[in-house]
Amino acid sequence: MPATIGYTRPLMALTMLLALAACNTTDIASVEEPAAVPMTGQTNDPAPGFENVKLGSEEDFILNVGRRIYFTQDSATLDSVARVTLDNQANWLNSNPNWLLKLQGFADDSGSVAQMETLSQKRADAAMGYLASKGVDARRMWAKGYGKDREVRDCEDRSCKVQNRRVVSNLRTQRDAL
Amino acid sequence: MVLTRRTIVLGGLALLGAGALQKQAAAAAASYFDGTAIDNGVTFRATNFARIDRKWHRQVVKYFSSEPIGTVVVDTRHHFLYLIMENKTAIRYGVGVGREGFKWFGRATIDRKSLWPRWTPPPEMRKRHPELPEFVEGGSAKNPLGPRAMYLLRDGVDTGYRFHGTLEPGSIGKDASSGCIRMFNEDAIDLYQRCPIGTAVQVLPHIADQAGNAAQVSEATPVE
Repeated sequence: MPATIGYTRPLMALTMLLALAACNTTDIASVEEPAAVPMTGQTNDPAPGFENVKLGSEEDFILNVGRRIYFTQDSATLDSVARVTLDNQANWLNSNPNWLLKLQGFADDSGSVAQMETLSQKRADAAMGYLASKGVDARRMWAKGYGKDREVRDCEDRSCKVQNRRVVSNLRTQRDAL
Repeated sequence: MVLTRRTIVLGGLALLGAGALQKQAAAAAASYFDGTAIDNGVTFRATNFARIDRKWHRQVVKYFSSEPIGTVVVDTRHHFLYLIMENKTAIRYGVGVGREGFKWFGRATIDRKSLWPRWTPPPEMRKRHPELPEFVEGGSAKNPLGPRAMYLLRDGVDTGYRFHGTLEPGSIGKDASSGCIRMFNEDAIDLYQRCPIGTAVQVLPHIADQAGNAAQVSEATPVE
């Protein structure tokens, strides 16, 4: 493990350069994620940052709460499963008041590009409204719809489509320029 | 029948021994649980994770095989279930899988999910265990599906297999169920939240990256 830590910093710097150089649409994960570190090592090694997960950390949020909620086709309604995840998120955010939250909506349904933008914004707004109703200060949150951009997977299979109809709750330490 | 003193003493010892063993076994099994938790109005015994090998705990790991994001991959040989995430990572859960002879492989889709599902033992299982009831109500402390079931279908047809919870946390990491993939109850609840209807599933003898650790291919027949 110490050997990996030694590599991490130079690798991160390198990755950021690469990420800037290769700014294209296939780079879908980058909008949801901090810049991706090219992964070395082996399957089943702890993922970077997850070696020893601390309560209240972003890793804790990802592993023990979950960032994603999903929607059915053409819908921005929060179903019972989505509400449970949002309840868990609200509890966590209320116990960890220093984190801000950016809600990113996505859509990959039937309709024009503009309709998808509207739908994805509605989804993100619905999630934010629900969190606010559970006591999360609305001033800590902001929501943005990305329409059909940044699909998790670009294919016509149902298993792809369901991944794209989502809202991702991203922890932030400061506001970004949307 | 004439009992000699010797047989009586031996028999007594045997009885004492059996009693002690039973007690020990009960204590060991009990310690797999610690307190209770409430889910959707049902109180259930919480898993005592301090007692469970860290290997089987839910964790985020590196994952280099090629399955796309959002796919659930089960490595039956190594008793892991992976939910593939971005950036070559996955959430890994420890699972219990089918006993030798019940193993199955293939692709499927999570097409139905339920909370505290009723359990209907399949007919072949009732043939082997005639003492089993026709069904066990959801939420019952005797229902082996636990708090969640995710039903695996192939082309719209039920494969008969599910991801579900367990009454026996000690069986996670082992081959000990009839083809189903069992998880800690807390993990079944967690996975349920993360898998929308339509999620792709692959049940494999082992993931590609673990081929080196799985020199022997399982004898089990694929469900094709």
